[in-house]
Amino acid sequence: MSVQWSDNSPIYRQLKDKLVGMMLDGFIKPGDALPSVRQIAAEYQLNPITVSRAFQELADEQVVEKRRGLGMYMSENARSQLLTSEKQRFMQDEWPQIAERIQRLGLNIENLLATTKGEQQ
Amino acid sequence: MSGVLTAKGLNKRYGKQLAVDHINLAIQPGRIVGLIGPNGSGKTTTLKAALGLIPFEGELKVLGFDPRTQRDELMNEVCFIADVAVLPRWIRVREVIDFVEGVHPKFNRRKAKDYLAKTKLSPDMKVKEMSKGMIVQLHLAIVMSIDAKLLVLDEPTLGLDILYRKQFYQNLLEEYFDENKTIIVTTHQVEEIEHILSDLIFIREGKITLNTSMDEIGERFAEVMVSSDNYAAAKALNPIDERTVFGKTVFLFDGVPRSTLAQFGELKTPGIADLFVATMKGTYA
Repeated sequence: MSVQWSDNSPIYRQLKDKLVGMMLDGFIKPGDALPSVRQIAAEYQLNPITVSRAFQELADEQVVEKRRGLGMYMSENARSQLLTSEKQRFMQDEWPQIAERIQRLGLNIENLLATTKGEQQ
Repeated sequence: MSGVLTAKGLNKRYGKQLAVDHINLAIQPGRIVGLIGPNGSGKTTTLKAALGLIPFEGELKVLGFDPRTQRDELMNEVCFIADVAVLPRWIRVREVIDFVEGVHPKFNRRKAKDYLAKTKLSPDMKVKEMSKGMIVQLHLAIVMSIDAKLLVLDEPTLGLDILYRKQFYQNLLEEYFDENKTIIVTTHQVEEIEHILSDLIFIREGKITLNTSMDEIGERFAEVMVSSDNYAAAKALNPIDERTVFGKTVFLFDGVPRSTLAQFGELKTPGIADLFVATMKGTYA
C-alpha cells in the first residue's frame, strides 16, 4: 500500500490519525492486537522511531495498551474515549475551516441539508 | 563506544581534484542516515574511505576501528552493497553462499536460504542469468544474513523497478534493522527513503552542506507562499530559496521561527527533494 503523506503535519501524527480512523471505523476493534512497529515501518516505509512515537501517543492517551512481550492492543474503552476527543478536535480544528469554506462558497444551511437528504433517500 | 562513524578533517584527493574536503562527521548507532549529493560530490569516496577501500588523509574511526590499519576487524562488523556489480558473472547462488560462509564469521546460512526461498532465485542459477533486481535480491539475502553493526548501501536500488525498490526497503525494515544497527544509504531516489531516514546529510563538492536529524528539519526549515504585498517583508528575513508558483512567491527559510513566518500564510515543511534543489542550485553551472 502506498500512502501519500501531507507536508503540513509530522508523519507520526498522520500515522496516529490513520490508526485512530481505523479504530473508529471498526477495522481495529477493542481488544485487537495492533500490527508491530516493524510491520508498520515496513508496510508504510517509515522510520521505526516515527511509528513508535505514534504508538507512544496512543498509549499516553490510553487508547492502546502495552502488553509486555506481546505488543500493543486496542483498549476496551478506547472507542468512547476516541469519539469524545475526535468530536472535540473536529469542533476545534476542522469545523472552523469547513465553516469558512461554506461561507466562501456562499452556501447556506438549506443547500447543504438538501444534498445530504437527497443522498439518504 | 561513541559513534558508529566519526570523521575529523577527512580528506581525499584524486590527483589535483579534491574529492572529499576536510569533512567532519559523527553518526550514532540505531540511525538510518541518508548521504545525499549530486553526482561526483564525494559520496562514494567518503563511503570507500570508511570501508578501508582507499587511502585518505585525516582522522576516521568506524565502529572504533581505523579503516586503514584495522580493516580485518572492521569487516567483521560491516556490510556493503556497492552501486556497481561486484559478483562475478559465472558464479552460482549456492557458490556465493558457500563463499560468504567461508569468509564471514557472522554469516547465518539458514537465514540466507530462508530469504532466498521467498525469491525466484534457485541454488544453481548463475549471476549472468539474473536480472538486475534478482542480483540485488541475492546481495540482500547475504547482507541480511550477516549480523553486522553497520550496513552501507551505495545506490542500492539504482535501475530497479518500483516493485523491487519497495521490497528492498520493506525487507530491510521488517527483517534486518533494529536499534543496535546503523544503515548509511546514498541514493538519488530521495522521495523513496524520505520517511525511512532518521538523519540527513547533504554533500556538495566534497563538503558537508547539511547535517541534520529528520525531526529537526520540521523545526529548522519552513516553506511559505507569499502574496505580492508581503514580498518585501518576507524577503527581508533572508530566505534561502525563492521560486514562483502561479505568480506568487514561495520562500524557503532556514532557522526563522515559525511564529514569525505564520503571518505570511500557511507553513509547509519542505521535503528532502525541495531542500536538495534549493541548496544544490548552480552545481553543474
